[in-house]
Amino acid sequence: MSETVGSQRLAVRVAGRESGDVAAAARERADAPVVEAGSTGVPGVEPLLAASDGDETTFYANATPADAEAVADALAGDGALPDGDATVDTADAAALPLPDLDGFGAERSVLARCGWIAPTNPDAYADAVGFTDADPDAVVESAGGVLGRGWGDWSADEPVGPLWEGVRERDGSPAVVVNAHGNPGDALLGESDPFSVLEGAAHVARVVDAVQVFVYVSEDDEAARDALTAAADAYPDFPVDVSVVEGPAAYRAAEPTMAIEAVEGNHRLEARLRPPGPEVEGVFGEPTVVHTARTVAHVAAAVRGEPTDSRVLSVTGDADEATLELTADDALDTALDAAGVSDYTGVLVGGRFGGLTTDLDVTPTPDALDAADLGTDGVLEVLGPDACPVAFVGKRAQFAEDANCGRCVPCREGSKQLTELLRDVYEGSLDRPKIDELMRVMESSSVCAFGQHAPRPVRTGLQEFAEEFEAHAQGTCPAGQCLSDATGEEPARAKP
Amino acid sequence: MSSHEPEPHSEFDVPPLTETIAPGTASDPDVTSAETATVTVDGQEVEVEAGSTLLDAVEEVETDEYVPALCHYDRQDIGPRSECRTCMVETDEGVVPACSTPAEDGLDVSTDAAPASEARDVNLDLVLSDHNLRCTTCGKNGRCDLQDVSIENDVEEPRYGVLDDRDEYEPIDDTSDFIQIDRNKCILCNRCVEACNDVQVEGVLRMEGHGGDTRIGFQNGSDTMEGSTCVSCGHCVTVCPTGSLVEKGIEDATTIPLPGFNQKNSVGKVVESADVEKGPMTPMKRDQVTETTRETGGDEERDWP
Ligand code: SF4
Ligand code: SF4
Ligand code: SF4
Ligand code: FES
Repeated sequence: MSETVGSQRLAVRVAGRESGDVAAAARERADAPVVEAGSTGVPGVEPLLAASDGDETTFYANATPADAEAVADALAGDGALPDGDATVDTADAAALPLPDLDGFGAERSVLARCGWIAPTNPDAYADAVGFTDADPDAVVESAGGVLGRGWGDWSADEPVGPLWEGVRERDGSPAVVVNAHGNPGDALLGESDPFSVLEGAAHVARVVDAVQVFVYVSEDDEAARDALTAAADAYPDFPVDVSVVEGPAAYRAAEPTMAIEAVEGNHRLEARLRPPGPEVEGVFGEPTVVHTARTVAHVAAAVRGEPTDSRVLSVTGDADEATLELTADDALDTALDAAGVSDYTGVLVGGRFGGLTTDLDVTPTPDALDAADLGTDGVLEVLGPDACPVAFVGKRAQFAEDANCGRCVPCREGSKQLTELLRDVYEGSLDRPKIDELMRVMESSSVCAFGQHAPRPVRTGLQEFAEEFEAHAQGTCPAGQCLSDATGEEPARAKP
Repeated sequence: MSSHEPEPHSEFDVPPLTETIAPGTASDPDVTSAETATVTVDGQEVEVEAGSTLLDAVEEVETDEYVPALCHYDRQDIGPRSECRTCMVETDEGVVPACSTPAEDGLDVSTDAAPASEARDVNLDLVLSDHNLRCTTCGKNGRCDLQDVSIENDVEEPRYGVLDDRDEYEPIDDTSDFIQIDRNKCILCNRCVEACNDVQVEGVLRMEGHGGDTRIGFQNGSDTMEGSTCVSCGHCVTVCPTGSLVEKGIEDATTIPLPGFNQKNSVGKVVESADVEKGPMTPMKRDQVTETTRETGGDEERDWP
């Protein structure tokens, strides 16, 4: 019985982690193939059982082994399929037909196979889209204009072609680092469609004539690590040596030069000086391309001739986590609607150090996000209706204070003083000029993107929620979250 | 999996002695110019030789404004660490640290542009904010780079204050017979770590931790200088720009004689030598362990405010 079901019409699929029992129960009963797919990007509905019969697929959210048995029996001809949570026409057997459930969005291109095909089976990938063996010039031609995605990409928001050309022309033994560390979109691609990540990396490796590809994952993303390792072993004719390397889970560890330090095995992660960047001196001093998993997946799509301006976005925070895709013309509120989020105080757009806003009528392109002073890391962190934005940005400054690498003064000491200045708001002092001056210097003189972006939640928060900040300086919290003690006693202070 | 398993520092071009040295710092790229370059500093043309940074050009001329360059050393293979960011200057490509930006032909450098000036001042005050500024009890009083630079930069009252929270003070490490460490005065310039590892090739010191807990420590995991593999060559002390590393015996040499005040009681806590009988040698090198477990954490939530 084939596990690949590229074009099979009769099949049972179970998506998500912890889906082994459900798949086993279906396998017991069914004659149809049972596929264990990776996560769909919507963990809240998983295990997600999908029963395809002819041109229709019925979805069962949070499926149990009993559901699987009932579905399998029905597909075997013993009666009708039980009622599901959604039923969709299955026109294209190679892509997840999007169910009308919260978290899935309206269109998928690089995420199309996530939660649908067996992630580590090369035949399934070959059936779905096929491995493309384009020559380097054709790759540059078709994918050189792809914009790097994510803060862990060494050509974030820039076209990747010029970076490749630079490395290709330089002497040495180039390396490619695929940074799949930390961002939920990168981890999802690694877990659910590792071949598209590896295929994109193979294209880049051929273009720059690399001797080694390193796929870098967080030690917390075990599913991504396992899937990428299995796929690397099973990849038909990967052009160069490839290894999957783990780094510590800390947020800063995704910074491109810290990723290189981790790949080299340094025991303490610290950002490297730049310029010159990794494209000149990267892994073991050799010219190195660093791209996120999202970027290389878009490269693979571009080489196949698919459009590549869609953006992978993850909704997190006070919401059920969901990773979905928007086209370049969809406003960000489409993503929140799709994730079932309607009520919020604000949304931090663009990663941990993104911009805080209430206006989500912004398209997810770097230009539009930049114009709105928002980040481009593809994470929409929701502040629920009861959240206090003043406390939120204060905590985020404190996170910067606690989680930086410790190398440079503007970031290490600046984030500490920024946190202090925000604490002072609770004592009646809101010193905007002093706060603004400090943020300007952190942004202009920190060594790496961590310190350069760390002030953004505060800066945008001060703008968007000026009244709330004033109110706190007057001793009240409009959200009722801070200063809960009405007797005027000082709030308990954390040790700095 | 690959035939190129990454090994810590194994592929660097270093003498075999340094192979196991783990200084805890990033492997920085070369940040000097490849060729002779002519740059303009505050309107004056300066020609610098290959291997120069913008700071070399800045130091050649009388600049409009003072550029402190506090953490810069640049002798004996030490630095640039480029962590203090008190040497920011403006160029056509924005505000950059002069000490670690290669001097490229045609670059136009300005020291008095407002963003550069502001960055230098704020960063120097940020250094001071984490410093136990008790010059009167300090062994480096009068021969301290931080003091010199602060005076030269007209610092009167650092805008973020100075380290004054006694709970935060680290005890002075007074355990070694030759060197006293007061980490409350350390600016994390990394000079001592590089002097010990790259110049003396002793592999004693390292950078450890992250965020506010970043500190100099010992590669063999010892808590104190006494338990480290230090051979007391004194090189680290020679290069330290502050009163963080001071020769024993002269730690009070420049103390202003106020009754009852000295370096050892300035922070209240001191770790003294355990006075265990020591053999003629320092602890064996082969005992040396490096921290192989990767750092984790730092992302934990704390209470707010
Ligand atoms: S910006 Fe922060 S994380 Fe980056 S080098 Fe500086 S201290 Fe380290
Ligand atoms: S005195 Fe000790 S710690 Fe300092 S450089 Fe010499 S060996 Fe290293
Ligand atoms: S002890 Fe001195 S030389 Fe070493 S990092 Fe601190 S200030 Fe620099
Ligand atoms: S002297 Fe340039 S950063 Fe310290």
